[in-house]
Amino acid sequence: MATRGERIFDIFLWLLAGLVFVVLYAPVAISALFSIVEVRRGDILWETATLEWYARLWQNQSIMDAIRLTLVVGATSVVLSAMLAVALALYVTREDALGRRFIELAVYLPFLLPPIVTGLALLMFFSQVGVSRGAVAVIIGHGAFVLAVIYRLVVTRLQSLPASLVEASSDLGATRWQTFRHVLWPQIAPAVVTGSILALALSFDETLITSFLAGNEMTLPIRLWAMMRVGFTPEINALVTVVLLVSIALTIVIGLRLRAGGRE
Amino acid sequence: MTVLLELDAVSKSYGATEVLRPTSLEVKDGEFLTILGPSGSGKTTILRLVGGFARPTAGRIRFDGADVTNVPTHKRPFNTVFQDYALFPHMNVARNVGYGLMLRRRPKREIENRVAETLEVVGLSGMLDRYPSQLSGGQRQRVALARALVCDPRLILLDEPLAALDAGLRRQMQLFLKSLQRQVRTTFLFVTHDQEEATTMSDRIVVMNVGHIEQIGTPRDIYYAPASRFVAEFFGDNNILGGTISDGRLQCALGAFPAPPALVEGSAALAAIRPEKVRLGTAAEPADIVFTAAVIDVVFAGAITQVLLRPNASPEAIITAKLTSGAAIGSLAPDASVEVRIAREDAVILPAASP
Amino acid sequence: MSPRLARIGLFVAAASAPVVFVLVPIAAFLIMSFWRVETSQLVPDMTVANYAAFFASDTYPRVFIETLQLCAIVAVIGVALGYPIAYLIWRQHGRLRYVLLLLFAIPLFMSYIVKIYTMRSILGLQGFLNQGLVTLGILDQPSLLFIYNRLAILLTMAVIFLPFAILPIYLSLERIPRSLVHASADLGGAPLASFRYVILPLSAPGTIVGALFVFVLALGDFITPQMVGGPSGFTIGRVIWSQFGLAFNWPFGAAMASLLLLVAFVVISLAALIARRQRV
Ligand SMILES: Nc1ncnc2c1ncn2[C@@H]1O[C@H](COP(=O)(O)OP(=O)(O)OP(=O)(O)O)[C@@H](O)[C@H]1O
Ligand SMILES: [Mg+2]
Repeated sequence: MATRGERIFDIFLWLLAGLVFVVLYAPVAISALFSIVEVRRGDILWETATLEWYARLWQNQSIMDAIRLTLVVGATSVVLSAMLAVALALYVTREDALGRRFIELAVYLPFLLPPIVTGLALLMFFSQVGVSRGAVAVIIGHGAFVLAVIYRLVVTRLQSLPASLVEASSDLGATRWQTFRHVLWPQIAPAVVTGSILALALSFDETLITSFLAGNEMTLPIRLWAMMRVGFTPEINALVTVVLLVSIALTIVIGLRLRAGGRE
Repeated sequence: MTVLLELDAVSKSYGATEVLRPTSLEVKDGEFLTILGPSGSGKTTILRLVGGFARPTAGRIRFDGADVTNVPTHKRPFNTVFQDYALFPHMNVARNVGYGLMLRRRPKREIENRVAETLEVVGLSGMLDRYPSQLSGGQRQRVALARALVCDPRLILLDEPLAALDAGLRRQMQLFLKSLQRQVRTTFLFVTHDQEEATTMSDRIVVMNVGHIEQIGTPRDIYYAPASRFVAEFFGDNNILGGTISDGRLQCALGAFPAPPALVEGSAALAAIRPEKVRLGTAAEPADIVFTAAVIDVVFAGAITQVLLRPNASPEAIITAKLTSGAAIGSLAPDASVEVRIAREDAVILPAASP
Repeated sequence: MSPRLARIGLFVAAASAPVVFVLVPIAAFLIMSFWRVETSQLVPDMTVANYAAFFASDTYPRVFIETLQLCAIVAVIGVALGYPIAYLIWRQHGRLRYVLLLLFAIPLFMSYIVKIYTMRSILGLQGFLNQGLVTLGILDQPSLLFIYNRLAILLTMAVIFLPFAILPIYLSLERIPRSLVHASADLGGAPLASFRYVILPLSAPGTIVGALFVFVLALGDFITPQMVGGPSGFTIGRVIWSQFGLAFNWPFGAAMASLLLLVAFVVISLAALIARRQRV
């Protein structure tokens, strides 16, 4: 049974968690609020409540362009990264792999280093090899950034598989490709999917690396950043609300998948 | 002997499932009491309730006469040896063993001496500075034991402490634990699912079956007088013969055995006969039942040889006999026909359905 | 082809993408920190002038140190708030535990830029914080105390990076077997003693790793200082960023970023070392 001191301590913990929760979720609350009603000098004008801004969103060309680019960048970089991650994971888990730690270092670095360093490095590299700022540069940047996440999940899954699995398959006369297609892939596919969703969520929100590489082609966060300097209109708050809800949904999906994976 | 620990109609449910039916049990001061039962029967549950790691759904737990049902773990005056040892990985052996004394704010000097003494008792002196990761399984086991002993608890709870050890070490530790218990005169409440372990170590055994106690008694009582079919089958080997009660006797395909008066006329009952009580071809006693059977198989197991028999009168019942190995038995061939004898008083007659 | 050659060939194939897109760019930028700029043109060179200029300046080293201080405070706040919350989550059971964990993980993926924006509207002159303090009578009138200064950067970063602290701390708590906590209680450890002697030491490495993680994240953030820092809230990230805009001095920016990289590298290695040493 809890003593009185423990109960007081518990209440304190819950209060603290509640407070932090409110602060962490303020972005959703505030954006949603501002997207529906007008706020003047901190006073909420309830009579101005309207959902009109959500409808208008679709007519804003620059926002629609940014959304499109964000989706394209996300999809492309994630697909490329996922393929590379699987290839690297397969290589690294081979018996005869060379330079395992070297490859892992290169894979994890962009994720671990401050994004300003990664962004700068890619910008300078691209400027020297003649890749100009824009969608392609951003795709490569995001690809390098999210690679670590997918790789990590896939390699963990691969390492948890018994070595006898592959041996049994080749023992039964399967080629390397057949072994991959029928034995390994079904085992790692869930990890690839989870990693890709996670990577997608990261790509949608990536701002710091992108800021160096985007140039005039703006992804959504960069567009929002530009708009933020002049202050958000209710329309943008509507957009932000939608974006936040989508990212919350994505996180819940990731959370459920990770939990299901952990139970296996 | 006085009662040290008492469970009074203690039960435990998780949600709608009752994993422990209302159970009463008395642990006497100074005894080695073993809870024995198959996996999932609720052994750990009882230990967790006693240790205070879980609260009973109903019932009271008393220690030395005082109600401890709602006393938090850290205020209960007994210690546990955990199945996975639960040694603190960031503390060396000395600090692990001295932990309980440190919490009781004993002087440093005293802690050092007590730790050294206790490690000596468990045969681990000179390992003070090792970390758990640097110890073998058996050594960890002893550290866990020393850690529980060092505070001089009147009761120690042990949850399958030997399960992780290999067979040889296990037997060695069984003997060690038993002699240790005599030496320190502490009450041991021991959990195992190994019937042999329970038999060799315990003063008394509690046999459990899915959430309730089937029988409590000395190893001898339980071996020679199992109280139910479950105990008869779980505790050592038994040949089970089904039949019905009539004229105060159990009538079965092989003959009639005298039944205790408590069994109702016409009810289904069974006879449990230890394999070593089944004899082949020796001189008949007047109280024997005698029948012929075909030998199915002869299994040599060192000092003992097992003979599987199919009685001619009841071909579906297979009887096992455990006999002292010897030339005569060795020469038995499959399909040979033999005469089998069982003394009538060697059969334990039990009701067919559990009470 | 000999097996040895094939083995090397495979390695080259596997390593090529990470090398080209990660290691070469990092090398390129380290090299460029030794270049110089002449009439708005990059000139390859081998000069330490950029580094010399940095250390000779009387503002940049100070900004650098102040940034390290700022990030350290952000990390400490992250742990100070993150530990109790991670501990609370860890103490729960079953579904509640999972839901709480998810609730505090979701903000990880909430738009970074929107968080900054929201913090600005909370901390600003017309913001909710001022509004609340005036309503409560703590302030007479809205104040600029919380916006466009170092405090604003600190508060904003603390909020943005807090979830990054909670997760590693929670994971390190979760690695502690429950039986150790039970054993401590069993040996007479009251909850506080068990916490002090068992839970805290065993979760300390993960907690330090979490703090270092937050530190590195804060170190590289330049948008937060730019948006809420005002004219006085300069950080090294913001200074570096400006070299790629108006100031247009890439090599100088690269030199400063190299120093940043050095700090980050040390911190990350430290974190990796601690993580590997963890006993549980
Ligand atoms: N926390 C729990 N929630 C739900 N059911 C539980 C819980 N703990 C134990 N049980 C159930 O209670 C029953 C008894 O479990 P207990 O651990 O006491 O068995 P046991 O006899 O110790 O078995 P074993 O020999 O396998 O250790 C089992 O069916 C188990 O599934
Ligand atoms: Mg158990």
